[in-house]
Amino acid sequence: MLELFAEMWSFAFMRRAFVATTVLSASVAPIGAFLVLRRLSLAGEAMAHAITPGIVIGFVAAGLSVMSLLIGGLVAGVGVAILTALLARKTILRSDASLASLYLIALAAGIFILSAAGSAVPLKSFLFGSILGIDDASMMLVGGVAAVTLVAFAFLLRPLIVSTCDPIFFESQTRRPWLVDQGFMLLLVLNLLAAFKTLGTLMAVGLMILPATAARYWASTITGQLVLGFLFALASCWIGLTLSYFFPETPSGPAIVLVAGGFFLISALFGPLGFGGRLRKPSPGAKPSVEQSYAEERIQ
Amino acid sequence: MAAVLELRNLSLGYPDLTLFKHLSLDMKAGTTLAVLGANGSGKSTFVKMLLGLMDPLAGRLHWPSGRPGEIGYLAQLTEFDRRFPIRVRDLVAMGAWRGFDLWSGLGRGGRNRVAAALEEAGIPDLADRSLHTLSGGQLQRALFARVILQDAPLILLDEPFAAVDQSTEAHLLSIIKRWREENRAVVLVVHDLSSVLDHCSHALLLGNGAATHGSVAEVLTPDLLVAHGYLSQSQASWMFRGSIEQKGQAHA
Repeated sequence: MLELFAEMWSFAFMRRAFVATTVLSASVAPIGAFLVLRRLSLAGEAMAHAITPGIVIGFVAAGLSVMSLLIGGLVAGVGVAILTALLARKTILRSDASLASLYLIALAAGIFILSAAGSAVPLKSFLFGSILGIDDASMMLVGGVAAVTLVAFAFLLRPLIVSTCDPIFFESQTRRPWLVDQGFMLLLVLNLLAAFKTLGTLMAVGLMILPATAARYWASTITGQLVLGFLFALASCWIGLTLSYFFPETPSGPAIVLVAGGFFLISALFGPLGFGGRLRKPSPGAKPSVEQSYAEERIQ
Repeated sequence: MAAVLELRNLSLGYPDLTLFKHLSLDMKAGTTLAVLGANGSGKSTFVKMLLGLMDPLAGRLHWPSGRPGEIGYLAQLTEFDRRFPIRVRDLVAMGAWRGFDLWSGLGRGGRNRVAAALEEAGIPDLADRSLHTLSGGQLQRALFARVILQDAPLILLDEPFAAVDQSTEAHLLSIIKRWREENRAVVLVVHDLSSVLDHCSHALLLGNGAATHGSVAEVLTPDLLVAHGYLSQSQASWMFRGSIEQKGQAHA
């Protein structure tokens, strides 16, 4: 068994994949935590699909380079975010319906262009990622995005906490509340692009959402949520990459996301804020349980 | 007393709905203004305008001493996400979040202020509790502690007693009384003609496309309450039967 692991570690592409996903985990964990806390989990998924045509057009125009990926994805992501806000503000549609409509168009357009261009890149690796695709340029992209994300979070963390916990209070206390929203969306798009090579466009958001939702079942503080989310993401990447190596036909994206899904299910079953908490009886004189409080909240 | 805020000939509403027109009033330091009205009369919209979250349709808001950097604000409890993973002391500390140091957060002075605010709100023992374990009244006390920490010259409270018991209401009213004594201006949106009005110096009655402002005694008359659609004629007759009888006897 150890020989198998030693063999896996002897390949440079595997070492690169492990390093890239370790850095990626640190970068996507805070994004995922706030996607979940801001009730934007599905919007994150939609945005992951929405950047597809940008990546594809960049790829068709300039090949699979990091710059084409970054520029194409950013233009598509920011474009969809602005169009969604416009549709929600100026028409009868709410932002969820606007985003859903736009991402479906964007995803279909992306796949259509990719197929029509007769690309040499297999569609499967585009949609689900490939550990073989992580070259030095991709490593630079992941490292750069992680650095930008973590530095941005040093400044954005407190405004994000206030605006997520009590958005109306936050709006009342600042003249430019949209800066935090748009800054966060920009970080989301950047991280989706960084995750694209390893996880593919369809699975990229999985590494953000599932570790964060799993952590939500255990953590009762923001710090706990961030740390646990990172640990779940990291473990998912390492175990997922190993699985992907041992089963060569398996793309890395689904393998990593499937492991993250396992963490989610275990957390939902045994976490103190999941089913596990509901099964325990409160001792006399104990503080109100979560479910008591939720019941009270619903009554009010 | 100096005016904290002056409204001149103000109209408020939305492009297809005017809530009221031509409101002029001075909000002075040390006064408490009760904002009353039926559902949909524009109470919360009025508060949002004061916060700068929306513009009036016409007229002018003027801050004689400049717009305060901080406006104390308590939103309705229904607008709050109680599942957010945060402790009570951190929620209260949000009242001073702009003064946080980038790395170390709240300094010792700030932490002492949070502790003092929790003490004043009557919940020092809840500091380390998660929000989702609080009752409605406990959460409202925590939000009051956050307003205390904001230390603002103008305080806006949107239906602060909607989900609290009598003892909590009495405690929170004592905090409002202290704010008035500290020469702060307080705007209090209330839904019913309750004991709260004893603590207010002025009232703003909204409804039926109009706004009436004045002292509590001037504004809360049966005729005005009926005219603004706040009470029906029969409700007004029943509620004010004592004063109407007295008026009749005096007239006779």
